[in-house]
Amino acid sequence: MQAANSISTPVPVAWYPTLAVAMVAVGLMLTASFFIYEATSSRKSHSLAKEITTGALASVFLGFGSLFVLLGSGVYV
Amino acid sequence: MPPSRPTPIVLLLLFALTAVSSSPLPPEDGIRVVSAEKRIDLTGPIVKVFLTLKVENAPGASDASQVLLAFTPTEVEHLAILKATRAEGKRKKKAYVPLSVEASDLAATPNGARLYSVLLSTPLKPGEKTTIEVLYVLTHTLEPFPAEIGQSESQLVYFRDSAVLLSPYHCLEQVTYIKMPSNRIESFTRVDPTSRAGTELKYGIYSNQMPNTYLPILVHYENNRPFAVVEELARKVEISHWGNVQITEQYKLKHGGARHKGVFSRLEYQSRPSMSGMSSFKNLLARLPPRVHSVYYRDEIGNISSSHLRTDSHKSELEIEPRYPLFGGWHCTFTIGYGLPLQDFVFESDDGRRYINLTFGCPLLDTVVDDLTIKVVLPEGSKNPQPSVPFETEQHIEMSYSYLDVVGRTTVVLKKKNVVGEHNVPFQVHYEFNPIFMLAEPMMLISAVFLFFVACIAYLHMDLSIRKSL
Repeated sequence: MQAANSISTPVPVAWYPTLAVAMVAVGLMLTASFFIYEATSSRKSHSLAKEITTGALASVFLGFGSLFVLLGSGVYV
Repeated sequence: MPPSRPTPIVLLLLFALTAVSSSPLPPEDGIRVVSAEKRIDLTGPIVKVFLTLKVENAPGASDASQVLLAFTPTEVEHLAILKATRAEGKRKKKAYVPLSVEASDLAATPNGARLYSVLLSTPLKPGEKTTIEVLYVLTHTLEPFPAEIGQSESQLVYFRDSAVLLSPYHCLEQVTYIKMPSNRIESFTRVDPTSRAGTELKYGIYSNQMPNTYLPILVHYENNRPFAVVEELARKVEISHWGNVQITEQYKLKHGGARHKGVFSRLEYQSRPSMSGMSSFKNLLARLPPRVHSVYYRDEIGNISSSHLRTDSHKSELEIEPRYPLFGGWHCTFTIGYGLPLQDFVFESDDGRRYINLTFGCPLLDTVVDDLTIKVVLPEGSKNPQPSVPFETEQHIEMSYSYLDVVGRTTVVLKKKNVVGEHNVPFQVHYEFNPIFMLAEPMMLISAVFLFFVACIAYLHMDLSIRKSL
């Protein structure tokens, strides 16, 4: 006789739309800060470390945000 | 294709064979059928037969471990399902134990009759009696006659069977009841004693029949029930561990009754519904699991809005109405799709593997499926898929590609022919899945976006000017 433990999703399904909006918003704000840093500081004083960290953080948030956008709109990938 | 009818000459040969020959009897030659009751249900497009056999093992014979059932070659060709149960225990503790039935290759029987053996759970001792209940379903055996009818005519069909049970054993007492859907019976063969009471025909009680006797009868009656036949059904079940099981079904539906001849007058059909289109059908009911969402019903032209979905806590019912009513020989093709919550269907078993629990068969009620294909698409990164279906199916594994896939999704394909409502039983597909693979999808998206940022940084750090900037 098999145990009937149903599999649950890592994140509750009801949170998908909210998480999508929140994560994409944070991701876009970080993207904006990345480009503002690029635009305001002069070419010589660009710090590669700062650029990469901002870029990485922004891509993490945008990546998860777009995943939740896909899941929330019914494309269960 | 009309089923073959034993001609009188062949019948004579049959009688001669049983009277004269010493045809090799099955090993359980001590078994006799004390009484047999056959109830044939002809109220739908398929033939359902309920057979109650009381068998006795003669004193002095060996233990019997199986009981044989005989079918004619045409019956075997159209046999969709054959189930047997046996009542065990005394009055209050009666439990029906299902018995396994196998096709048997035993001794040659007259006229090519095929034998199926019902394996008893406990052998039948000499002198013991037991009752076995058998259910079998035959599809495409009702022959419409006349083969072509007009719009306002009723559909009449032929049913061919034997008045006497075809059995490799002696039969002491037997009776056959045939139930019709309506009072109109054009003709039926009389094999005394035969009687008719309203919608039911009774052939019996016949006593002391020799083994392998067959007395063909022909019943011509009216059957206006919808003869819905699904020629091909392709069901695709996509599992996503993010919370959804998506099922897409593609149907090729046909009206399998008497072909429609002449014109179709929409005016006559709609103004006089009781006199026109009696053999046609215009809606079908599909039974879906509860908590279904995003149900759609469309065909190649587009969405079909004539449908109703009624849900409650135990089931959902989808009533679909194709774009036109279906008369004999008409086809229609459509797709039904719906989504189901993951926690109702996918579970984790004791040994750590996951499995999905689905219902085999077609959700449309009262239909016969000629060719059924079920594809279960497991999430990316699943290993060792193992289906477990309670009856025989053709199985193979292939790869499907879908959204955000790198290596492809393992797909289990199950195929079966001649599927009826009795096949709608649960089946499972077990597979191994490591939850870390779920991160592969967001990682892919993150790395795509990060690549864009790296490209921006690289562009901004490159100096593409021809002259040195001051």
